Amino acid sequence: MFLRLRLPLLLTLLAGLVPVVAFFFKDEARAVKAPASWLEQDMIIVAGFALLLGVVNVVQSNMKKIERRDKGWFFAVVLLGGMAVTGLVGALGAFRIGGLPGIGNYPDGRPTPFAWCANYLFTPLQATMFSLLAFYIASAAFRAFRVRNVAATILLVAAVVVMLGRIPVGEGVFGRFTEWLMQIPNGAAQRGIIIGAALGAASLSLRVILGIERSYLGLDKGE
Amino acid sequence: MPAYAFIGTWVAALLTLFLMSFLYKDNPFFRFAEALFAGVSLGYYIGITLDQTLRPNLLEPLAQNGVTPTNFHLLFAGLLGLNLYTRYIPRIAWLARLSLAVYVGYYVGINMVQKLQGEVLPQSAATMVDLTGGGNGALAAFNAVVVFVGVISVLIYFFFSLPHDGVVGRVSRLGIWFLMLGFGAAFGYTVMGRVSLLIGRFNFLVIDWIGGTMRALGGG
Amino acid sequence: MAKGIAKLQTIDRRWIFLLIALGTLIPIVLPIGFPVTITPPVKSIYDLIETFGPGDVVILSYDYGPTTGAENDPMADAILRHCFSRDVKVVALALYPLGGLTSLSNSLNRVTAEFPELEYGVDYVNLGYKDGGQASMKLLADDFAKAFPGDTNGRPLAEIPLMQQIKGAREAKLAVSIATGIIGEWWANLINAQFGLPVAVGCTAVSAPKYYAYLEAKQMIGLIGGLKGASEYERMVKEGYPATREAYANPLLQTASKGMDAQTIDHLIVIAFIVIGNIAYFASRRGKGQA
Repeated sequence: MFLRLRLPLLLTLLAGLVPVVAFFFKDEARAVKAPASWLEQDMIIVAGFALLLGVVNVVQSNMKKIERRDKGWFFAVVLLGGMAVTGLVGALGAFRIGGLPGIGNYPDGRPTPFAWCANYLFTPLQATMFSLLAFYIASAAFRAFRVRNVAATILLVAAVVVMLGRIPVGEGVFGRFTEWLMQIPNGAAQRGIIIGAALGAASLSLRVILGIERSYLGLDKGE
Repeated sequence: MPAYAFIGTWVAALLTLFLMSFLYKDNPFFRFAEALFAGVSLGYYIGITLDQTLRPNLLEPLAQNGVTPTNFHLLFAGLLGLNLYTRYIPRIAWLARLSLAVYVGYYVGINMVQKLQGEVLPQSAATMVDLTGGGNGALAAFNAVVVFVGVISVLIYFFFSLPHDGVVGRVSRLGIWFLMLGFGAAFGYTVMGRVSLLIGRFNFLVIDWIGGTMRALGGG
Repeated sequence: MAKGIAKLQTIDRRWIFLLIALGTLIPIVLPIGFPVTITPPVKSIYDLIETFGPGDVVILSYDYGPTTGAENDPMADAILRHCFSRDVKVVALALYPLGGLTSLSNSLNRVTAEFPELEYGVDYVNLGYKDGGQASMKLLADDFAKAFPGDTNGRPLAEIPLMQQIKGAREAKLAVSIATGIIGEWWANLINAQFGLPVAVGCTAVSAPKYYAYLEAKQMIGLIGGLKGASEYERMVKEGYPATREAYANPLLQTASKGMDAQTIDHLIVIAFIVIGNIAYFASRRGKGQA
């Protein structure tokens, strides 16, 4: 029980208190600032490992799909193949194997295999996937924006005014009003949301540090 | 245009068109590009994390200097990081909680200070200003009042412990109107943002792909 | 007639897609050249950098990836051209995992090619990408070397002349975060709040409404919002530094100013669809009322 529950909760408390306590001391307080600095350097490394956790998950689920020949298993092969090739050339570049200078370009400007994958596979795929949203937002605007009640009307009018005020054709008429709308009423609404959300996040953080909120540990029933 | 760039541009253009084909309807070309998108993104993570974080911040300091009093904590970090992967071994999966506890604990600690000192305090201070405008004229006074009323009414709307009747109800309604103004403005900006991304892709197709191919074939 | 108009509500959405596609494509092929008006949040960043001189250091953080490159690349490039035109040193880094490093490298390669007199390590440095988010930011504010032991190629910071001039980010004159999401907020609510470093953010249009709250609370000195903001900054750089006009006149360069033509047409198309949709809605309500 101690190792599986109490020790993790104790570690959360200590790790959470270090940056909080360090905040209240000046740089000269080395006894407090040094552990905080070590922990920050360590968290950079742990974050790197954590980022790659998803890779294991994806490999497991797609391998199962391929083994069972589930519908669409060919695309699981494509996914794993893309990951393996890009990851492999990335790893070779990272450790400078095979004369690779890294994961960027060669000194003469030619891309390494990883840089080629990043520029001609990763970049266009990422960019295009999100660019499709332009079509869907236009369709959503057509279907959903209706003057049904006061609130919906305010939302619609604000959207149209901003869309007109941020293009050259409409700036002359709506530009200054749009700027005022963004800074004052929109600023007020966003500020209310920021304050409310920040208070909620701070209280949740305190609950986690004090061990009241434990869902992040993935506890089994009875623990 | 060098061969690697010519081939790369054509591959990028074809993948772009494969993804855009979904706008007509779902098809195997889109699903191929979608699967490749997921796989290459993960491979990208592997490359940059190894090259930009794990090698320079963990492996090189330990390899070059060994474990010293000043860098022993890196060994601790490496072990914590590797320990995260024990979650995939059922018998010892609980060990991963120790790493997760430190990781989550640190970031919630940072977050708590950040939210209170970096958001609640400055945003509240910027609201609690001279409502007469501080001598900067009628518009400044009007703006200060609008901001004050807006922030208070939005916060009251989000206070669900009180029933929204009577005065509280009317103030909440005002809060909703401010929120609708904010969301409407956000929608207008979202249209701008999404359209910009599409402009980028079409620029690539016209200028880099079609234009680049014509220049390459024309000897440019 | 009301029934006919009401039927517009059920139009196949692929017609909408086609109109948006044409509205985007035609201005790219046949540019219009709409003028750009400068707004105060963008001008305040330009005006601040105008007070910087040779030897001053600006941190430029690439906190975005290819998903929003169309909006953010022009901002980053314009800031770089402005700084380099004034002999302001730039320490460039990336904190966004999904493409920050690629955006950073490509942007630096594009712009430094226009300034052949610049020397890497003296006038600018590429620190690369680092995991850890807020942990990296807190460390680099005090001492870059604690988060970035070397530059993106692994060269130790102790061997880079520019990094002898500045130990931590808090010693810079300004930090500019070109951001797609929350990292720009962290520069304002963590680095500016705890270290007092002036911060400016160039953000996507989707994020811009929220950033206005930080701007109004003086947690940021300026804001470049979306492609419109980027086009404003480009206009100021072109007008202030004629040497940059050649780069912006390059027909192969994708600039924000050129993108505003398509932006204008597409906004008008979306507004037209909203109006048509509401006309169809009222027509269907009248039809139901009469039935």
